Amino acid sequence: MTSENDTQLDIESNLKKYEAGLQIIFEGARADTGQTPKEIIWTKNKAKLYHYEPTVEKKYPVPILLVYALINRPYVLDLMPGNSLVEYLVNHGFDVFMLDWGIPGDEDSNLTFENYVLDYMPRAVKKVLRTAHAEEFTLLGYCMGGTMAAMYTALFPGKPLRNLILMTAPIDFTAENTGLYGLWTNEKYLNPDHMAAAFGNIPGDLVDTGNRLAKPVTNYVGSYVTMWDRILQGKPMDTWLAMNKWVNDGIPFPGAAFRQWIREFYQQNKLVKGEIRLRGMRVDLSAINCAVLNIAGKKDHICTLPQAEATMNLISSEDKEFFVLDSGHVGLLTGSDAKKSLWPKILSWLELRSK
Amino acid sequence: MAEGSKAQGPVNPLDFWKQWSETSTAMWTNVLEGGKGTFVDPYGLYRPWLHSIEVAQEQMKESAKGTIEPTGLRKQWYEAAIGAWAKAAEMGGDPLGLTAQWLEIMEENRSKIFSGGTVPADPFTFIKQWYDASSDTWAKIVGDIIGNEKFVENASQFIESYTSYYMATRRANEDYFRNLQLPTRSDLARVAEIIVALEEKVDRLDDALDDIEDGNSQVATKDVITELEGRLSRVEKRLDAISSALEKLETVEKLAKHTEGMEKKLDKVLEAFAKNEASISSTATEVDVVATRKPTRKNARNPKANGSKVEAKQTV
Repeated sequence: MTSENDTQLDIESNLKKYEAGLQIIFEGARADTGQTPKEIIWTKNKAKLYHYEPTVEKKYPVPILLVYALINRPYVLDLMPGNSLVEYLVNHGFDVFMLDWGIPGDEDSNLTFENYVLDYMPRAVKKVLRTAHAEEFTLLGYCMGGTMAAMYTALFPGKPLRNLILMTAPIDFTAENTGLYGLWTNEKYLNPDHMAAAFGNIPGDLVDTGNRLAKPVTNYVGSYVTMWDRILQGKPMDTWLAMNKWVNDGIPFPGAAFRQWIREFYQQNKLVKGEIRLRGMRVDLSAINCAVLNIAGKKDHICTLPQAEATMNLISSEDKEFFVLDSGHVGLLTGSDAKKSLWPKILSWLELRSK
Repeated sequence: MAEGSKAQGPVNPLDFWKQWSETSTAMWTNVLEGGKGTFVDPYGLYRPWLHSIEVAQEQMKESAKGTIEPTGLRKQWYEAAIGAWAKAAEMGGDPLGLTAQWLEIMEENRSKIFSGGTVPADPFTFIKQWYDASSDTWAKIVGDIIGNEKFVENASQFIESYTSYYMATRRANEDYFRNLQLPTRSDLARVAEIIVALEEKVDRLDDALDDIEDGNSQVATKDVITELEGRLSRVEKRLDAISSALEKLETVEKLAKHTEGMEKKLDKVLEAFAKNEASISSTATEVDVVATRKPTRKNARNPKANGSKVEAKQTV
């Protein structure tokens, strides 16, 4: 009788697990992300500037402004309690701000990097300084946000910008360095003008598909094998769910900015040549002379190591460091490895330069 | 058993597995219904696999009588899968050579999975074992394929035709709704653009106010304004003085013109006198009379002209 009951319970338990797994597959992952308490201190069009509420007394007078990419959502920087770079920095006494570009609508299809780097970022910086009552700030850019942060620094070097942290920020788009993206975005095969004309904003799903196809077996199969494995073994699913939610939460890429990104960055590699011009102002990376921490992942296939490393030879900063981790593009930022390596590194580097 | 539990009786795991398999197969088949185009179907890789599941299901139905032994079941599935893939490759449905390579992996892993040990009863654990055994090789092969120019060329053609189709559809829909006098997405976007532009202006004002509050821009105080008013008043007075001076100059000019006019009139009067005198005097004494007459102002200034007049009269 007891054995029958056990079998019954096993079956029941397994069915529940299968149900949970199938629910995720069909309905998508659900998770509470971006939980660190924050306040919106400024908005412009769809962009929002968050100010994270301090949990401890402010130790450093130099606030940090996080800038994310135009694709996907920025909450990967504040994924979930206990697995959040933002929370980590706030808990260590930093005044943290984040610029969320928001989800562009049809009316934003004409937004370009000029708008983002010359209109949005300087305004956000002013708000940060004003709110933090600070004279200087640290700019931290992740992925394409890092490229944008580098352009901003090149155009507005010196005060008030004190430190620049680039995390997996692609700078050199030489075809040999860009891996599969270099091939896929080759002008023989990809016409960004045509795509922008057709879609207005490039659909988030299309961008996501491109990113996932760079590692199709891992992204389309491996991820779900891991999911079933965790479910069936009764392991915690929080992090998997949060990450899966983020991976599937792509947002449209403003058409005009997409055209610039593909044409001028990937196809023509203008940034390293000093040929990018934003409203006539030349983006000269050698103008960057503040303290720079440049972070890259060995297993990153979205921003390869050489793409990020090139920055070191292009900037004029005397205080500069290239920090390499044995991680991928996102793995570098979250999870147990990040807690042990990346976050303490950022903390120790900033501690010395934020007083 | 817990109260309110959903399970009302023993469930055969095989039935559940079959049900799931059938549901998922049907779902994928529906999803892929339209994917038989000329270009590379991104889900094409799944087709043989789905077919293999269907074949395996059929074989399972035939052999599943009573209790199923997991190892036997997995082997059956494995063999069925290999068979289906091999058939697909033979039928020429393998332009990129994927199936052939996939079969090689399956053959390689057959021994890894089934040699020794027990095969797990749970299908997902079995699949995980299978994935762990084959994922690296498979990832490399897929990586080579998607990094191949032929694949990219096909994908590029697919995207080009899809974007063209999308653009044409979008335009047609826009026209259709316009004809119906209904607002379209473009119309809404235009309105939204206006709102964004308005917001931009408000943001600039906000920025300017921030600057003022932060002391980046100087605010005009009452004292400064009073001083400015005083300076403005002084400037106005000076302008008035200049203006009256100019007016005086104009008066002098007017007087000069007036005097000149008077002179002209006097000349005419003198001329008229001269004519009258000439008609009265005799021709013999006419020259003397004219010579002794006081010359006009004009003639005095221009003796030559006066002389020529005299000459003319003499001729007459």
